[in-house]
Amino acid sequence: MSDHYPALVLLAPLFGALVIGLFGLRDHRVCLPVVVSALGVSLFAAISLVLSVSSGGPVDYFVAGWKEPIGIGIQLRADAINTPLLVVIAIVALLAAIFSIRPAAERDSEKTPYFYVLFLLLCVGLFGITITADAFNVFVLIEVTALSSYGLVAIGQSKRGKVAAFHYLIMGTVGASFYLLGVGYLYLKLGSLNMQDIHGILASDDALADSRAIRTAFVFILVGIWTKMAFFPLHGWLPNAYSYSPSGSAAILAPLVTKVSVYVMVRMMVSVFGLDRLEANVEWGHFVVWLAIIAIAAGSTMALAQREIKKMLCCLIIAEVGYMVGGAWLGDPQRWGLTGTVYHILADALMTSCLFLAAGIFAKWLGALKLEDLSGLFRKMPLAAAGFVVGGLAIIGVPPTCGFYSKFYLIRGGIESGQWTYVVALLASSLVNAVLFFRIFEIAYFGKKPADSHGDDHGHDHESEPVVRLEPPLHALIPLLVAAALLVLLGLFNGPVVEFIRTGLIETAAVVSTGR
Amino acid sequence: MKAKIFASIAVAITGAVLLYAVSDFPRFGDPRSPANAGVEGGSPSASLYYIENTYRDTKVPNLVTAILADYRGYDTMFETVVILTAGMSIFAILRVLRRDDAPGAPASAPDSSDHSIDGDHHRIIVATTCRIAAPLIQIFALYVVAHGHHSPGGGFQGGVMLGASFILLALSGSLRDTLVRFSEQQYLRLAFIGILIYAGFGFLPLWVGRNFLDYGALSGLLMTSGEEMARSHSMLGVEIGVAMTVMSIMFAIFANLSTRGRLHGGL
Repeated sequence: MSDHYPALVLLAPLFGALVIGLFGLRDHRVCLPVVVSALGVSLFAAISLVLSVSSGGPVDYFVAGWKEPIGIGIQLRADAINTPLLVVIAIVALLAAIFSIRPAAERDSEKTPYFYVLFLLLCVGLFGITITADAFNVFVLIEVTALSSYGLVAIGQSKRGKVAAFHYLIMGTVGASFYLLGVGYLYLKLGSLNMQDIHGILASDDALADSRAIRTAFVFILVGIWTKMAFFPLHGWLPNAYSYSPSGSAAILAPLVTKVSVYVMVRMMVSVFGLDRLEANVEWGHFVVWLAIIAIAAGSTMALAQREIKKMLCCLIIAEVGYMVGGAWLGDPQRWGLTGTVYHILADALMTSCLFLAAGIFAKWLGALKLEDLSGLFRKMPLAAAGFVVGGLAIIGVPPTCGFYSKFYLIRGGIESGQWTYVVALLASSLVNAVLFFRIFEIAYFGKKPADSHGDDHGHDHESEPVVRLEPPLHALIPLLVAAALLVLLGLFNGPVVEFIRTGLIETAAVVSTGR
Repeated sequence: MKAKIFASIAVAITGAVLLYAVSDFPRFGDPRSPANAGVEGGSPSASLYYIENTYRDTKVPNLVTAILADYRGYDTMFETVVILTAGMSIFAILRVLRRDDAPGAPASAPDSSDHSIDGDHHRIIVATTCRIAAPLIQIFALYVVAHGHHSPGGGFQGGVMLGASFILLALSGSLRDTLVRFSEQQYLRLAFIGILIYAGFGFLPLWVGRNFLDYGALSGLLMTSGEEMARSHSMLGVEIGVAMTVMSIMFAIFANLSTRGRLHGGL
């Protein structure tokens, strides 16, 4: 069975979704065990893949056994760039699944099985995008991911969620179409959809690789993926979609969907078009880095203007996407920027997961949607607050959380490639994050409270003296604390992780560019 | 107005970029274009391989079906999953599951089955015609599903026709009567079973140590004379799965959209 881990990673959630669809639509109790065991299998397979990649190099899997000649079938490929992401996807999905257990008596709990079906299908899509080595297969799985995301955004009670989902649907479809057009152009010129094969052809024929159609294809693929990852001018769908969706949906969508899109961009750069070719056109790299700087500035500025917790976090995602796009395009010869980007994909997925879990807890058990509502948080739910603080510190970039190290590697890449503006933007954005989060910490700790009529924390005049502990139930608290702990762990063990990614990146770039 | 101008500019730029690349394309139908013959110095293209070897590999005369359901069967499985996901999303958004959900619900007249397109008057003619047509459509759809190996067709097309036959019945008669024949529980179940059939055909080869979707491994189970025939038969199997899912989801989407998720009244 161990040969089949690349397929098993995504087959487990697929079969899980089918089991829920067949047996769980009437009986809600079936859902959670199925989801947890399916994702558990995925996590196990992903970890095994990391181990086998680290001991024996990339693992190839030829679906349906069509191996020779390359490109007639569909190839899955687990290497150092995507296996850590597989693990993180499985972990974040598990946390979100446990977080979103809902007591059956709750309102609208009839739709819980549908939620979990869509949830697992989303995981199938994310795993599939990450592990495939076929440019068209990426598109198919982007569709699975996107359609389940629309459903997950709109599944709640809120009408605004449905409007946001519609907006997201339009933008997402445009993005996917752009990607598909790009892949179509590639196929027209090259006659292959296999990433390695495409890269081999492009590396061996300069005139072909510089031709108009190939360049256009690359631009279209990039713009399509940028729409999917909410890169700054194309970000319009993100804040509403993630802040008006149910907390359980946001806890998986916000951390993973944009990150996996960033991964697709990295994959396209490294394994399809080739880093050498991109670095030969330096001015394009500079242009994209400038776009990224604008995205970072815009995301941070918008975050400062927000008064709602989730909206603010969404703006931070936009800024973080700017970090990653910029880092990937730095083009420093030692590949620190790209390594930082891949590491930041992992770190940011966990950070966003932690923060959105916390925001979900605050919204549900505290009714806190705005920043001011968090006053007295540390007294009401000290453990949840602690988790939130760790997430905040990671986003700011305080050691020993992973946020510090990812920024460290990104900045190192920026310095080595001489992109000082990018470095300054990163630092400034960290400063903004510090302002944002310490403002929240202050409200939460000192309970700065404008004269509001809630009465609950009105200096506790009306209430009994000991503050009511409102700590959320364990199924919500444990995922948050696990996410927070993982942030620190990923930070502490950044050395081996980064080494793993960087050697893998350099090998991938080198192996393919020397031809097939 | 401003947004419209902006959108037009964006569309014009996109179109210009797409056209800019067109001059670089190989000629239409060029047998030596990369997509047909591969790139010089590269491996022979996949399509050339398919043309030369499909019949040898799979004993399926229709190349398109073989590529769709075998060589790139993994893609097709997920295309079917896309359809399931779309159906589930629409279900999750629209379906009203609470029985006691009175507030705001328009006090719709209880289904006095006069919900046909054009009122009572022509109802008999329309309904009778459609009742006669539906089984014919379904038989043809089954033919399209089953004959996908040899002629254009296959699971998606046949599934859509099957779904359309039920939609036709619902439009000409009433949705309620159609739901008696093809209930919500049934179509949801069929949608999942369809994928299960496809994924099951994919999963079985794993037990004998072959890769996912490697139908050749099923020759023992299907009692065929060789791996090629096993591939051919398995393709029929997965096409049936696709057809089940597509049919169910088509009808589910219609039922939910036309009644705003309440499954009564409607068009």
